[in-house]
Amino acid sequence: MTRFCQGDARAFDALFQRYARPIHGYLARVTGSPAAAEDLSQQTFLSLVRGRGRFQEGARVKPWLYAIATNAARDWQRRKRPEDLTDEGELPTSVPVEESGPRDAGLERAVQRALEQLPEGQRIPIVLHRFEGMSFAEIAESMGLTESAVKVRAHRGYARLRELLATLREETNG
Amino acid sequence: MSPECSRVLDSLGHPLPPELAAHVASCPECRPLVEGFGALGNLAPAPKMPEPAMQRVRTRTQEELAAQPLPTPWWREVLVLVGVYVGLTALGALALTPLGLVLNSAPPGVVVGLSLLVLLAMVGGAVVALAPVRQVAWSLMGLCTAVVALSVVLGGSGLAVKSFLAGAIGCVKTHMLLSALPLLSALVMLRRSAYHPARAVAAGLSAGAVGLLLLHVHCPDGSAAHLAASHVGPWLLLGGLALLVRSRLPTSNHAP
Repeated sequence: MTRFCQGDARAFDALFQRYARPIHGYLARVTGSPAAAEDLSQQTFLSLVRGRGRFQEGARVKPWLYAIATNAARDWQRRKRPEDLTDEGELPTSVPVEESGPRDAGLERAVQRALEQLPEGQRIPIVLHRFEGMSFAEIAESMGLTESAVKVRAHRGYARLRELLATLREETNG
Repeated sequence: MSPECSRVLDSLGHPLPPELAAHVASCPECRPLVEGFGALGNLAPAPKMPEPAMQRVRTRTQEELAAQPLPTPWWREVLVLVGVYVGLTALGALALTPLGLVLNSAPPGVVVGLSLLVLLAMVGGAVVALAPVRQVAWSLMGLCTAVVALSVVLGGSGLAVKSFLAGAIGCVKTHMLLSALPLLSALVMLRRSAYHPARAVAAGLSAGAVGLLLLHVHCPDGSAAHLAASHVGPWLLLGGLALLVRSRLPTSNHAP
């Protein structure tokens, strides 16, 4: 990161090679739109270059990069549907799915729907933990929270996810 | 969350040791946690970025890196913004000088002390707005704002010079005129980092401090009602206005 901050193109290539696909996957998961994920990946890496003067020495790159990606996704959502944003500027609790509702879908869609229904404060730590393989310490660094706060959010999020799934299954069966 | 629950959370995705498996079986909080984690395994892997798209992103970013080989430290942006505030305050002071710059009839110590406090709010607000922190404490910001607002209102001379409405119209107009350019500068700077509502409010308050400072020194009306409605009120309004405008502006850089 130090070499990249000094403008070393090879250091950037190494960062890009390592994180481009995971960041795109994360953005696709968070936005639910592969097309938006491509655009947001570009914004994330452009922000990495433009904002490297804001990188604090000694911090880890991965949490910082994911913080940028989360901000880009949040901004995309905010600009897409400003009326859906909460007062805190968060992503809405429910991201509309492009396809038909969960009643006609299988387990995968039900899980996706349940995940989308989680509040952003629980959904982001869960996605980063479950799919990006980040430790709670890294997630805490990325979100600017304490590790214990992130753990509480993730704990509640996973439990709530299971509740939502049970409700969705009942609705589908009933 | 008990220490065992925390350990279960840490062990998700790995085989649980027997003592944790026993805890999960008996804990009403950990059972849904483990089931929720397991349910996410039913999701398909995220789509991969197509190679041409990846190349486009790489090329575009490399171009950006070539155009900006050296980073701009965040504190330089703070210095620029504070410099703009100071410059515009000086210009405002020059514009007010023909009418008499210091007309506040409160004791000189109070005038100077409050001026320093407002100046501190100006610089502090700029730092909060532009520093690369992940979370801004609303409570701390609210407390500082309340201290400045109350000090200005309570530190007046108590002298009512004009009728309330005439005084209010004149001061609000002057306040907005003096704060317009600082606010514009703050909004331009804010676009260079990720959107955060607290940062936007801090930027608005710091920009509004230019008008607040000049009015505090220049305005002869020191009644509490006038100060609250015509000095502090518009200042707080500028914080809200900055939030409203910033939330609608595109962001050029999503770095925290």
